[in-house]
Amino acid sequence: MDSPTYGKIQQTSDRHAPEVSKQTGFPSAATHYMEMPIDLHKELAIHKDATFYIRVDGDQWKQHRIFHNDVLIVDRSLQSRFGDLGLVVQDGEFKAMRIGFGEEEEYVLWGIITYIIHYAR
Amino acid sequence: MIAMVDCNSFYASCEQVFRPDLWGKPVVVLSNNDGCVIAANKEAKQLTHIPMFEAVYKIKHILEKNKVTFFSSNYTLYGEMSQRVMNILGTFSPNVEVYSIDEAFLDVDGMAHLDLRAYGFRIKEKIFRYTGLPVGVGIAPTKVLAKLANRLAKKQEGHDQVYIMDTEEKRLAALQWAKIGDIWGIGRNHVRRLNAIGIYKAIDFVKLPLAWVRKEMTVVGERLWRELRGEPCLEFTTVPKPKKAIGTAKSFGQKLPDLERIEEACAYYISEVAEVLRAQKSCATYVQVFIVTNYHSKVDKQYSKSKTVKMPIPTNDTFALISEARKALHHIYKPGYRYKKVGVNLTGIIPQEYVQGNLFQQLPETSKKELIRTFDRLNIKFGKSSVASGMIGTRIEEWELIKRERSPRYTTQWRELLKIGRSG
Repeated sequence: MDSPTYGKIQQTSDRHAPEVSKQTGFPSAATHYMEMPIDLHKELAIHKDATFYIRVDGDQWKQHRIFHNDVLIVDRSLQSRFGDLGLVVQDGEFKAMRIGFGEEEEYVLWGIITYIIHYAR
Repeated sequence: MIAMVDCNSFYASCEQVFRPDLWGKPVVVLSNNDGCVIAANKEAKQLTHIPMFEAVYKIKHILEKNKVTFFSSNYTLYGEMSQRVMNILGTFSPNVEVYSIDEAFLDVDGMAHLDLRAYGFRIKEKIFRYTGLPVGVGIAPTKVLAKLANRLAKKQEGHDQVYIMDTEEKRLAALQWAKIGDIWGIGRNHVRRLNAIGIYKAIDFVKLPLAWVRKEMTVVGERLWRELRGEPCLEFTTVPKPKKAIGTAKSFGQKLPDLERIEEACAYYISEVAEVLRAQKSCATYVQVFIVTNYHSKVDKQYSKSKTVKMPIPTNDTFALISEARKALHHIYKPGYRYKKVGVNLTGIIPQEYVQGNLFQQLPETSKKELIRTFDRLNIKFGKSSVASGMIGTRIEEWELIKRERSPRYTTQWRELLKIGRSG
């Protein structure tokens, strides 16, 4: 059965849908609703040229809910705001720190922690 | 106007972004095989007069005495960081010519309404904020002058890494300041030739009669002469020209006497160059293979030989190229020598759509092309040489380059992410 809508699906797939159903029988009801599946990189790394993934070793920052083996998504492009979690450098060492608290300490801001990826299993 | 942006001690800076413990400290990066120093940061240059391109074993004591940290080259990291820089530059101008891994020209025409100095600073600050890499910016009417402006931005005090050559006085002052050898494109031979007739400064060079320059330095010299006088001659090329020859040759980690290991290295290099070939959508007509022994050695017997073979039809198929290269290698290999290096060169490069089959040789069928495409996709996804021809073997560590001090591939490998906290 050569459905005229089939050609349309094919065309659509080339532009923005990665996979197309290969139904040979009834034409897909989803034909005009195909979209790209969620891409976490696109959602969580907004400024991709300024985003770095960094792994945490140890539980020393658990007060910030950052735990051993978590991966931090760090965006360097953001201006810091009060209360942000910052990845900072102090005495040549990386530290996670709330920005705006205990400001007497000297540090260099490396980037803003935007997400903490925690393996829950 | 044209802007030239380049990263300061790029390789060393890439390493330092992820190593705050090394901020402000001397860092050098070694060549493939850890043979010699190919990059040094400002601190390392000031501190020790480390001779560039000097063999590491000769200067190891200087490095150690001055607590210089050295890294094996991590081109995966440098390449990815470079890509970030170039992407960011793309937000500043619609025309960016990526000149090398750490330099680019930006077409700034049409930005006349902007304060160029402020524009230069915005470039510098955005790149540093996004990537942690320091850059210098030079803006001038021509490419050669932009390159010179960039040099001034870095070498002269008080410019803070940004220099705009926007008046005639500034151009003349720059030419007065620059030695002839500082000019982009004037090589050592020309410097010697010019010095011989009493020309030491760029300003004296542009005063030479054009006829002399054209006669002694060809049209290349003429272009430089015109560009330095503020007349644009070098075009803006945003698309790289396909390479006419692609080759690679690296020294082995240790001297190899037996054919089998050399074959494996040869197959490995062929797969590297074949990848480049496919990336630029072309095919090679000839494969050249050469082997050499260590000519520095006073005890080893010396031998070197090369052979070029013609492919039945031009191709970019790794397997076909390996099989021909292997035959060539068998032809030139002689037992009884300790080989230092095998190299391969692909020449006669043509666009892949020009390839024709002939009576005796058919074009490869689609399934084979699909195999190679899958091959490339897997390697992009899982990292270099995840899938490879069986010819490469599994004893790569016996001949591969020594990269003892390579840093993690922080930005491309999930298993090698920067680690902070307890260990960091």
